[in-house]
Amino acid sequence: MADINPLAPEFPLVVDPEIGGPPTAPTGGIPATAGRPLSRFGRLGPNIVLIACAMFFSFPLIALARYSLQNVPTVLLGAHNLFDKWSWNGITLVFHDPHFQPTLYLSLRLALGTVVLTLGLLLPTAIWVHMRLPKMRVVIEFITVLPYVIPAIAMVAGIIVVKPHARWFLNSDYSLIPFYVILALPFTYRSIDAGLRSIDLKTLVDASRSLGAGWGTTLWRALIPNLRTAIISSAFLTTAVVLGEFTIASTLLKDTLPTFQATFLAVNAQAGYGFNLLALVATTVLFALLSVATRKRGSRASRRANKQDPSHNDVAFAAVSRNLAP
Amino acid sequence: MSGLLYISVRKTFGPTVALESFDLDVRDGELISLLGPSGCGKTTALRIAAGFEFADSGAVTVGGADITRKPAHKRNMGMVFQSYSLFPNLTVAQNVDYGLRTRKINSNERRTRVNEMLELVQLGSMNHRYPHQLSGGQQQRVALARALAIRPEVLLLDEPLSALDAKVRLALRDQIRRIQTELGTTTLLVTHDQEEALGIADRVGVMSAGRLEQLAAPNEIYSNPSSAFVARFVGSMNEFPATIRGRDAVDVAGLVVPTPSAATRVDGEKITWLVRPEDLRIGAEGEPGLAATVTSTTFEGASTIVGLRVDLLDALVKADLSSSTASHLAVGQRVSVQIDGARAVCESIGETKPVAEEPAA
Repeated sequence: MADINPLAPEFPLVVDPEIGGPPTAPTGGIPATAGRPLSRFGRLGPNIVLIACAMFFSFPLIALARYSLQNVPTVLLGAHNLFDKWSWNGITLVFHDPHFQPTLYLSLRLALGTVVLTLGLLLPTAIWVHMRLPKMRVVIEFITVLPYVIPAIAMVAGIIVVKPHARWFLNSDYSLIPFYVILALPFTYRSIDAGLRSIDLKTLVDASRSLGAGWGTTLWRALIPNLRTAIISSAFLTTAVVLGEFTIASTLLKDTLPTFQATFLAVNAQAGYGFNLLALVATTVLFALLSVATRKRGSRASRRANKQDPSHNDVAFAAVSRNLAP
Repeated sequence: MSGLLYISVRKTFGPTVALESFDLDVRDGELISLLGPSGCGKTTALRIAAGFEFADSGAVTVGGADITRKPAHKRNMGMVFQSYSLFPNLTVAQNVDYGLRTRKINSNERRTRVNEMLELVQLGSMNHRYPHQLSGGQQQRVALARALAIRPEVLLLDEPLSALDAKVRLALRDQIRRIQTELGTTTLLVTHDQEEALGIADRVGVMSAGRLEQLAAPNEIYSNPSSAFVARFVGSMNEFPATIRGRDAVDVAGLVVPTPSAATRVDGEKITWLVRPEDLRIGAEGEPGLAATVTSTTFEGASTIVGLRVDLLDALVKADLSSSTASHLAVGQRVSVQIDGARAVCESIGETKPVAEEPAA
């Protein structure tokens, strides 16, 4: 709190008797937390659930790790050799496969393309809907959920019908991008939508325009910086979808990372699963980093607290301005 | 040079008519406040001046130039909003600088003006803070600095004080007025708070159902309302059922009171007579007047509001007396009520009732 009151040194306060006394410093500190006694079960219960969940998720992963990374025949794996003969050698087979790099790069390019196209389409649309067509929000929301409800294989069936007429398009590797944009919609739209709800869009746009900014400047300087979190997380979700999509890529005979993973699994299951595990861990770490990075700026709560709190600063200001007013 | 003029502006939203033959002339350097209940079109009028909405018909001019169809970002209007509108990703100084940057002013000039504006609102020391580190009142002061930095032809204020608490509101109101007078910026303020409207403005426009009911100086609006709507909306009013007597008097339950308000009426017409609480006098029981009983007294410092039940009307009325006069009155006491008809207003029975005053947002 102390740093919120820099007015104090700059302005020698002449206190108005009407205001009543000098602005008092906030009485310090956090109130002592009321010692709420937790019963033994109260403390234990949640922990039991937590441990059970942790076991449920970690045991299969540990099993997967042991299967793919321990140089021990599967039938001999047991509690006694938990720490024996761990090795990365299996996984390096994946990296040395001549198909690995090209498919990885293609998938990354597809991910980038999908992110760019998604944001290019979705940001203006979502902003427009929020500003001008608030009643359409329900409809748009419904449409964006469809890819989640309709299985990808249904879309594939549609593609096969269209294929003879659009060979020029479907022959390109990048023809996957529009499909991925659609597949990722349920995630991306929701993330952008939540971002737009968290800011006072209309006022920011009006303020920016009244200050002489056209739509482009408004988008670039006033909106995108305030939607950073939403944009980053939608980009991550899109990337996750692209790096995991198999059905459409396989049907259209594209060599993406997931199709490579599938074929490799058929050839060398141990190394293939090891690679899958690695991909899983890498994704998890990325998401964790993302949430840490975006939480740093989330001082929204403190801002709200500030609004509610008629800060003593304002009272000090009241005193000063009364004395300055003619 | 930069007066703002509305010429019979009409604006509809679907079936709702927000503004109807709306005329308003904000003179150069003048501060006009538009006052009215919610939905009366006052905000629409402001947004049309800002260019956020466009008039269906009619015209808007600034300094004689027609801006009716000009998009918002090409106008030169400074606007302060009701909700906090600072860009959260920019510091205080960057916020004030925003409009200067879009105008491609050179950086030295920009720096000077930003500092100048922040000094004007007494926030010079806060330039590196982010909006969320400021209190509500400070944020609105930055918003004001930001709006004024572009040297707007007209300053538009959309209920800039309604989100603040009472003490800050008063201080900021004084400051807005001081700065406005100092810079001589033509200003249009929209508010539903009559105290704010009357206290700050050169002239007050009272609006109802998309029309301007009356435009006049604050004391004129209060003491000489042009219609029953204005009379009721600004300040409070007692309502007496009454009958017109001749051309210059009104009969309230047998008490004949001379009043100029009867001049435009027909003899014998039944009306509702609106009288301000401070225009009631209280005399001892038996004096000429309406016999009544004191039902309540509310001490308000300099004045005391006395509630009265008038026998013949079986109606409750309020009198606003100086506290020294009211000190001898007690609840249950029998008194007689006299009426000063000089400022009273007649309302035909069946005339539309006004909309209730908008609750504070």
